[in-house]
Amino acid sequence: MDLANYRKGKPCIIEHMPKNNLLNSMGIREGSRVSIKSRQLFGGPLVIQYGSRCLAIDKKIAEKIKIKEV
Amino acid sequence: MKCHNTKSRGLPKSAPDDIRILLMGNPNVGKSVIFSKLTGVNVMAANYAGTTVSYTEGDIHYGRKTATLIDVPGTYSLDATSPAEEVAVNFLEDGANVIVCVLDATNLERNLNLALQVKHKDIPVVYALNLIDVAESKGIQIDVDKLEKELDAPVIPTIATRNVGLKELLDKTWERALKDPVPTEPTHISHDERWAEVGRIVENVQIVEHRHPTFWERFGDLAVQPIPGIPIAILVLALSIGFVVGGGQGIRATILLPLLNNVYVPAITTFVSSFVPEGILLNVLVGEYGVLIKGIEWPFFLILPYVALFFIVMSFLEDSGYLPRLGILLDSILRQIGMTGSNVVPMVMGYGCAVPAILGTRAATSKKQRLMITGLVALAVPCVSQTGAFIALLGDQSVFALVFVFLTSLIALMVAGAIMNRLIPGENEPLLMEVPNLLKPNSNALVQKVWLKIKQFVYDAQGPLLLGILFAALLVETGLLLVIANVLEPLVVGWLGLPKEASLALMLGIVRRELAVLPLLALELTTLQLIVGSLVGLFYLPCITVLAVIFKEFHFRLAIYTLLFTTLTAFIFGGVFNQVARLLGFQ
Ligand SMILES: Nc1nc2c(ncn2[C@@H]2O[C@H](COP(=O)(O)OP(=O)(O)OP(=O)(O)O)[C@@H](O)[C@H]2O)c(=O)[nH]1
Ligand SMILES: [Mg+2]
Repeated sequence: MDLANYRKGKPCIIEHMPKNNLLNSMGIREGSRVSIKSRQLFGGPLVIQYGSRCLAIDKKIAEKIKIKEV
Repeated sequence: MKCHNTKSRGLPKSAPDDIRILLMGNPNVGKSVIFSKLTGVNVMAANYAGTTVSYTEGDIHYGRKTATLIDVPGTYSLDATSPAEEVAVNFLEDGANVIVCVLDATNLERNLNLALQVKHKDIPVVYALNLIDVAESKGIQIDVDKLEKELDAPVIPTIATRNVGLKELLDKTWERALKDPVPTEPTHISHDERWAEVGRIVENVQIVEHRHPTFWERFGDLAVQPIPGIPIAILVLALSIGFVVGGGQGIRATILLPLLNNVYVPAITTFVSSFVPEGILLNVLVGEYGVLIKGIEWPFFLILPYVALFFIVMSFLEDSGYLPRLGILLDSILRQIGMTGSNVVPMVMGYGCAVPAILGTRAATSKKQRLMITGLVALAVPCVSQTGAFIALLGDQSVFALVFVFLTSLIALMVAGAIMNRLIPGENEPLLMEVPNLLKPNSNALVQKVWLKIKQFVYDAQGPLLLGILFAALLVETGLLLVIANVLEPLVVGWLGLPKEASLALMLGIVRRELAVLPLLALELTTLQLIVGSLVGLFYLPCITVLAVIFKEFHFRLAIYTLLFTTLTAFIFGGVFNQVARLLGFQ
């Protein structure tokens, strides 16, 4: 399953994602535990929570992030 | 506030025995607040990533010793992804005696990732564990002693905005600076090894308890849900505009206008005419465009009330962390014109002044975005002084005209954005943006920030305004204005449908944006003329300072293109609008 289509509010673990240095140094990498905080209208970005902080990522990136439920 | 400078004032290049201390860290962790508090040099600080886009140096003292502290942009890693991050990385490569690495206690994991990269650089490091007040309210506890052991360096908990821990940070930094460095081998570890190390440290030093979210936390979460986020955004915008326009009108009507007309103008006129004989000099001083009349009335009685209220709103928005949230809501709309939600911050700054907005684009990761923001801000975003002039000109006579002008500027932004998106090569960048903690702005910091912005505004605006008005007075008094007005008559009267005297606005508008509008105040225009005059002023060339900044940030060609394109747009659009409206029977 990919992150873009995952249920809001439920934690999940990133299994596989494309190489992205900026995302990586922001703390999003394989093995990270994240959850979706909000989605926007018209294919806007997702806000995802990791730890106690949030990050907005483009839906296109989120679609390429494969996750598994926990 | 040093937001208008590209660089800090030039300190003498470091002598060999000069002590250099570099402030490093992730974006938005409080580096600039710490810098301002330690050096007394005020730099811009705001609650979003990418506030600082170039470096500033300042002195710190310890006994009789002096060292140079350097504030640089925040960076997520040592592989720079934007021109701003490059500045930070280059400074690190140049070396320093000590690095003060600032950590955000609410996001220890990500911050430690950079901390470990910095630690492996063979420069002594002192860590400031900042924002512990916010961490505590989120239920995050960090064992400082254990963290010191893990990092093998001093870690000082701080609350920069409230001055907590900064004295100790300074002491520890000096201690390290004056100690002989122990040479260590810089080590290299892989990304994965480093993250594993970070994970282990966090596990060891941090405890997170569940806390009930505070009002601000809950508000911050709601603001990024489409519902109620979009209604909240509309409310915030409406309140902000109401505060600036309504408040400004109120202050002017009740306090400033009576003061101007009943006290200041009679007093200064009587005073000056008591020792200056009638003639050109008297008129230049206190006549129609008297430097002592308009030179005081325009900046202080007309513009400043709106400017000051705008600064209050802006500072509140900046420090609360709301702006990036607005960016998230607007991202899908902005995407239609080739921009992203992260461009909202520089665009909103453009409503203050185009200069920091254009400089702020250094934090953007693509050249295309930098060009788009620069072009749009230069063309269709009125700066706060010009907005003040619009409100002063239109607010009393026709609120409809005021709303119309601002709606036109929004539509122009969309149209120009769509066109530029086609013309400028490059991919649309996907959005990747940190969402800052939504914080209750610190009231002392807020007051100080507003005050500094006002001071900076008066300092920046007063000189050019006075020169412009002096120039106007001379043109009027020598009769030269009539000559020029006759030359420009086909354009100004024939095409734009404005009175001949409006050519003054076109001449003064080169100096500052509000001067393209203010001369219209004296002309008794019809509603159509008011709108045409305002539209021309809106699209007309940005002020000369902005052109200079475009030249410096990009190249000469782009400055010339901007000049030609904005001026042509102003004349073509203003003229066509006038002609069509007249054909339809409007006056
Ligand atoms: N509550 C609280 N707020 C803080 C503290 N330190 C800084 N802030 C706020 O955090 C925000 C970011 O501070 P800055 O100094 O601009 O951060 P920076 O690290 O210079 O950010 P960049 O220049 O973008 O890299 C500002 O709004 C500060 O007022 C703190 O200890 N407690
Ligand atoms: Mg900064």
